[in-house]
Amino acid sequence: MSTEDTTTTAGDTEEGSNTSKIHIENLRKVFGRIVALDDVTLDIQANEIFALIGDNGAGKSTLLNILSGAYEPTDGRVYYDGEPVSFDNPSDARDRGIETVYQDLALMNDLDVATNIYMGKFPTRGVGPLRFIDWDETYRQAEEIIDTRLNRDLQLDTEVEFFSGGERQLIAIARALAFDPEVIVLDEPTSALSVDATNLVYETLENLREQGLTIVIVSHSIEDVLDLVDRIGILYHGELVEVTTPADADLETLTSLIVTGQRGE
Amino acid sequence: MSTERSTQRRWFSVSDDSLLTILEHMIWPILAIVIIGVLATVPGTLSTFTSVRLILWSAVPIGLLVLAESICLLSGHFDLSIGAVAGFSAMFTAMVIGNAPQDWNVVHNAWIGFALVISVGLLIGFVNGYMVGVVGINPFLQTLSFLIIFQGARTAINTQPGSGLPHLFVQPGGTPDFAIGVFLLAFVLFGIVMRYTRFGQAVYATGSDDHAAREVGVSTERVIIAVYAISGVLSAVAGLMIAGYTSVVPPLIGDGLVFQAFAGAVIGGISLFGGRGRVTGALGGVILIQIIQSALSNSNLVSSTQNQMINGIVLFVAILLYSTQDRIRSRILASD
Repeated sequence: MSTEDTTTTAGDTEEGSNTSKIHIENLRKVFGRIVALDDVTLDIQANEIFALIGDNGAGKSTLLNILSGAYEPTDGRVYYDGEPVSFDNPSDARDRGIETVYQDLALMNDLDVATNIYMGKFPTRGVGPLRFIDWDETYRQAEEIIDTRLNRDLQLDTEVEFFSGGERQLIAIARALAFDPEVIVLDEPTSALSVDATNLVYETLENLREQGLTIVIVSHSIEDVLDLVDRIGILYHGELVEVTTPADADLETLTSLIVTGQRGE
Repeated sequence: MSTERSTQRRWFSVSDDSLLTILEHMIWPILAIVIIGVLATVPGTLSTFTSVRLILWSAVPIGLLVLAESICLLSGHFDLSIGAVAGFSAMFTAMVIGNAPQDWNVVHNAWIGFALVISVGLLIGFVNGYMVGVVGINPFLQTLSFLIIFQGARTAINTQPGSGLPHLFVQPGGTPDFAIGVFLLAFVLFGIVMRYTRFGQAVYATGSDDHAAREVGVSTERVIIAVYAISGVLSAVAGLMIAGYTSVVPPLIGDGLVFQAFAGAVIGGISLFGGRGRVTGALGGVILIQIIQSALSNSNLVSSTQNQMINGIVLFVAILLYSTQDRIRSRILASD
């Protein structure tokens, strides 16, 4: 469960299905008569920030839900560290090291920061089946995540409702980090955030990449993603139309890809 | 990479912060004022150790019912049937184990009685929890119908006092120190479970935001079933304590107690909307309700027939205070 070993297998130079962190092969997902994803093949490298962009209904949520274990693909395979995996539910994905931060953040407003981070997985101590929450340890570990990994300073005993949008996103990311994941998938992490808050979140994600994590951002907004990401995959009507880098595609090109599925002109 | 520390830390103004702290512990100044008022007007209520012990003893059933209501409220639900469950489980048990002429005369054994009264409460609570948590019935409708059913069932099986009980059966509620011990133990255990177990925190999480709780892996269905089952058991124990206090099962046992329990929980700071509240506050609420009751029955101002009205007024005041607190809270949140 160490995140450090991702750095040893990481590297932008390693190409091919067997060395990428996540390799998606001929993935297809059908809901009734609707084809949400059609033959998508995609590599996500270890230790990169990958953005998956597309318009509403392009299939990005479906792909996210397959990666997080909420959906099973109709056809095709997902490889994780070169091994084929199939996630029956979100805890399968979690056990494998993929943690998802949903758009609604799933924070409990009446509870404080540390309690939100450790809900469902409090450190306990006790004898045999008699387990009690170790609050000192809970706050210590929460402090460590916020302080060391996110490099922030949040009052851990303050209820979550008192925090701003950007800070709430950070708290949700902190909760994902408490599971010690190798990959974090974020659903629209900056929609509804101010410019300042967006920068705060992106600064944090860059920090996490430096710590060896692989980050997948699912988003429909491209502008602010451009400065941050290593690579961009564009989905259009369930198909992956292009994987590019910010150097190879400007905003206009990307917009055209999202809207028409083709590079403009 | 920026290593600059975030300046996003939220600093409340000192006055807002202390105002919120005061509001969250509102029960204690209220309790202090009421005690001073009682000492000034009806000093006999609290003047001797015996009178204080009597207050605590009479507070035992309502104390258990406040806990029963509190755990439901903390989980974001509520239970209108607690008084009816207390009444039915005690009356049903009395009919089984009593040897008076109108009883069913099945078996005359106190231990079977203890097991039966708790099992009945547990079963009714479990069904409440299953219907609300799994089937998805609105808690108000579910527990209202169970209130009517079990209050009616209690009267249907016996309109007389449930008498002829084994002596041992009325001992727990009839021995003041033992009953007070059960009451205090229930609060301590409840407090430990809520604060120091994953289940307790899952109850708070469910009450705060059940959707979010589910997303982070809390099994909210199981939490809801457990909450109502615990509520049922606590209610049944309250019924047992009432039977002990009066040595018989009164014909109208449990009637109206749900209102007192609500008043005690809410004035003790247990949120009507779930996710917030401390067990110590609920204890303060119980003591407050019982001191008011005892002071009123010791004074010439009010007769016992007016008790329920006074309870209603206490509940109303509690709700007013609570809404004020909520409004101030949202104002502070909005001003961020």
